[in-house]
Amino acid sequence: MREKILQTLNELRIYALDKGVEVSLYFHEEDSYLMRFANSAISLNTNEHLIRLEVTAFEGNKRASYAMITDLDKVNDMKQGIDTACEMVKHVMPLSYSPTVPVYQSPFIDEGNFDPELAQMSNEEKLGFFNQVVNGLETEEIKLSGIFSCGANTVAAVSTRSAHPFFVTTSDAQVSIVLAHSALKWEVQSEQSAQRKTDLDAAELRAELVTLLHHYTHDTPQQIPLGRYDIVFGAAAIADMLNFTSFIGFNGGLMKRGYSCLKEENIGQKVFSEQFTFVDDPSRRETFPFRCDLYGIPRDRFPLVENGVFKAFTWYQDDADEFSQSPTGHTVPHHSLCMAGGTQHLNTLGDLLKQSRESDILYIPFLHYMNIVNPSKGIITGSSRFGALLLKKDGSIVVPYNVRLTQSLLDVFGDKIEWIAQDTLPYNTSTSYGARNPTSILVPRFMRVNDLEISLSNSSY
Amino acid sequence: MIDQIKQQIERLRARGATYVDTRWYPYEETNSLLMWNGNLKDTSSSRESGIGVRVLYKGAWGFSASSDLSNLNALYDKAFDNARVAAERVTFPVRLAEKESIEAKFESPSRINPFEVTLADKVAFLREMDRLLDQPGVTQRVSKLDFRRKQIIFVDSEGSQIEKVITDVFAGLEVNGLDSEGGMHERKFNPPRRGDSRGWETIDLRYFSENAERIVRELKETLQAERCPVDDRSVILLPGIMYLQTHETIGHALELDRILGYELAFAGGSFVTLNDFGKLRYGSEKLTARADATLLNTPGSFGYDDDGVPAQDNLLIDKGILVGAISGRQMVEEANAKARRAIFNGSSGANRATAFYRVPIERMTNINIDPGNDGTLEDIIRNTEKGILLDGDRSWSIGSNREQFHFGTEAGWLVEDGRITRPVKNATYKGATVPFWNSLSAVGDRSTWEVCYVANCGKGQPNQIMQLGHGVPVCRFDNVRIGE
Repeated sequence: MREKILQTLNELRIYALDKGVEVSLYFHEEDSYLMRFANSAISLNTNEHLIRLEVTAFEGNKRASYAMITDLDKVNDMKQGIDTACEMVKHVMPLSYSPTVPVYQSPFIDEGNFDPELAQMSNEEKLGFFNQVVNGLETEEIKLSGIFSCGANTVAAVSTRSAHPFFVTTSDAQVSIVLAHSALKWEVQSEQSAQRKTDLDAAELRAELVTLLHHYTHDTPQQIPLGRYDIVFGAAAIADMLNFTSFIGFNGGLMKRGYSCLKEENIGQKVFSEQFTFVDDPSRRETFPFRCDLYGIPRDRFPLVENGVFKAFTWYQDDADEFSQSPTGHTVPHHSLCMAGGTQHLNTLGDLLKQSRESDILYIPFLHYMNIVNPSKGIITGSSRFGALLLKKDGSIVVPYNVRLTQSLLDVFGDKIEWIAQDTLPYNTSTSYGARNPTSILVPRFMRVNDLEISLSNSSY
Repeated sequence: MIDQIKQQIERLRARGATYVDTRWYPYEETNSLLMWNGNLKDTSSSRESGIGVRVLYKGAWGFSASSDLSNLNALYDKAFDNARVAAERVTFPVRLAEKESIEAKFESPSRINPFEVTLADKVAFLREMDRLLDQPGVTQRVSKLDFRRKQIIFVDSEGSQIEKVITDVFAGLEVNGLDSEGGMHERKFNPPRRGDSRGWETIDLRYFSENAERIVRELKETLQAERCPVDDRSVILLPGIMYLQTHETIGHALELDRILGYELAFAGGSFVTLNDFGKLRYGSEKLTARADATLLNTPGSFGYDDDGVPAQDNLLIDKGILVGAISGRQMVEEANAKARRAIFNGSSGANRATAFYRVPIERMTNINIDPGNDGTLEDIIRNTEKGILLDGDRSWSIGSNREQFHFGTEAGWLVEDGRITRPVKNATYKGATVPFWNSLSAVGDRSTWEVCYVANCGKGQPNQIMQLGHGVPVCRFDNVRIGE
């Protein structure tokens, strides 16, 4: 398939060259499968095979694009797409800067992260995996929900500036398993991200669910008092907060526009906890990486924060063009964000629950519907979900109703960090709005942050 | 093509499928322009076509979609196979509420097709807006236009064949500025729907110009303002935030798939139970809410949903009491069976998919609050002793069962003894859903009622974006925590 894709893109490139126009071509193919569970049944079993082509035409400082869903056999339609983009660009107004046209200095082909065994898992295998995880855990009242999403994803690009192509294909899976009480409305969840089929581990998912179920079925839930708590965040919550930090913290274009909680003068300063190290590391295959960006810039390990010191902003090509900055190779569908592990030896939820503690600790594995309250201050808000626990200092464990946290990310990843777990894992942050874009963030399993305020506490689920 | 679709549907029926439908999109096209600080950053168009097939087999759904129409056999077989495997894990076999077989056409009202307007005219509009927004104190200014047009042909195994052509225009303005502490503030104008159509004619230069000047003025007020105090006050919500309050804490909470637990793995559930219908006092007696897909000028109106059910105007909350839900054919059957009573009398016609390659799910139509008898905005302010007037969505976060919320707004003005005293910045409010709606103490009259739109409501797995509307009046709620 690779050859046919590259051959088609080359044919389109030659067509554009013959017309005397300047274009870049971005190709995306997905073969997506999603088995969705609800109320202990498969509520939906779906697949989509889609090919998208986006043509961007350049004319001096002008730029316009045309996108289409198409098939590789419809070369004439794609040529018409080039014609349309080139017609559009004649009528747009020039930018105040010169937009860069992608140039690939050499062919970039990366198929190393494609596992056909994962991409082509059968319906029966996916169902079998789910059954293995939840066997015996469902009851008349405790119902299974969740998804098994897997597929293959190909991104390819070429431009009239160079005959060299860009081609990346990967396989991915995202598994999310929820057990929820249909009357009491509590929910517990366990999740997994896989880049290869061998990454899938039903036993690990099951163990976490069993632990949470034990407490949610045996302990009486409570509305916990408002106030300040020492909080241990789980992988999902950490990944979500890192995503937001990356968005309103490290993006140079947003900083220039005033949306960042970090400023240029913060570069080189200690802004976060010394325990906090955060990098964009495309060498980590678990992050479904791009080792070259869409403008041909090789992507290497890029430190964002090292031991609390803010190192650099990331610059997308268009922002770099507009603000006269050097692009940093970040014009890719997603970055390979990795937070370094710390020193705390905690490999499982069971380890955390057994750990001795000198104060009450609120465990929040997941933050629901997080949003930015104040980007300049880095303030976000979100609610706990999917298996929060209050670990009392006397060793007992209480199930809390969900609570709301409204907090600055500069505090969450700042000096209030007590410890960070040594072990890290990929947390899948993929969404399927638009084109498939498998994404995960490498995060510590747990992170303890002291003295954070709970601003709202539910009186029920 | 339609004959081929019908043949495929019959073929799967012969294999044992109890229901099959197909949504064929001959085309869906978009055109987007975005001007940022004078730069036309985005000029893009798209066109796609394809087909989505939904199969019900032994009580389970299978779905498959493709843009390749050259091998319909394989596509329909894949959808059937997906249903066949899903049927291995069924707990409540899917049943579909009765509906009539319909042959119909629907075209959304549009006098000027936005795809026939020249790019030069669209750019000229944006340039004029950018010029008006380019004022001292404004650090970022954004003007945008977004046009969508699609043709959908729906065919099902029950004899329905429906053609829809839907056109929508979305336009918006936004300004941002920095206060003396370096804090970013924003003010937007997303025009409420006026008139009776949805085409390019809705782009009224004079109306946009007036509001461009207004949002710049209000941004400057905010930049100079003191911080919003932490306090308990009456909050008076203008339509620019009232629509979102309605969307998040009535609309999503009353989607029947959420209530039945079909969104628990992702979007969340609802605090509402089947036992609540006809009993739960959701809000004060001043609250009457409805799902009205028959309004002419909003993206929440579509003629027929993707189950082939005609658009309807249904009560959701009647004088404070919960009476209805947002539903499709499948969920009402399951809800009635599980409740062991007939809560719902058929589908409310709200099953929609965002594209040919997504499966229909319960989506809001136009979730509206009826105007009340508490007068104009000025009357409500005059009758408020200690309050805050809020407008513009800045941030929103809602509990997983829609039981509580936290909203940030773009603009806020304190109200003392019946008059507006001063603007405040970083205004927020929060609450628990049912107590909040029960604190509803004033509902503005028709003069305060505006139809706002949502262009990007997200839900479902695989994820879907949907467009819809909210007709809402000015409302006042008492004893609400602000400023946190």
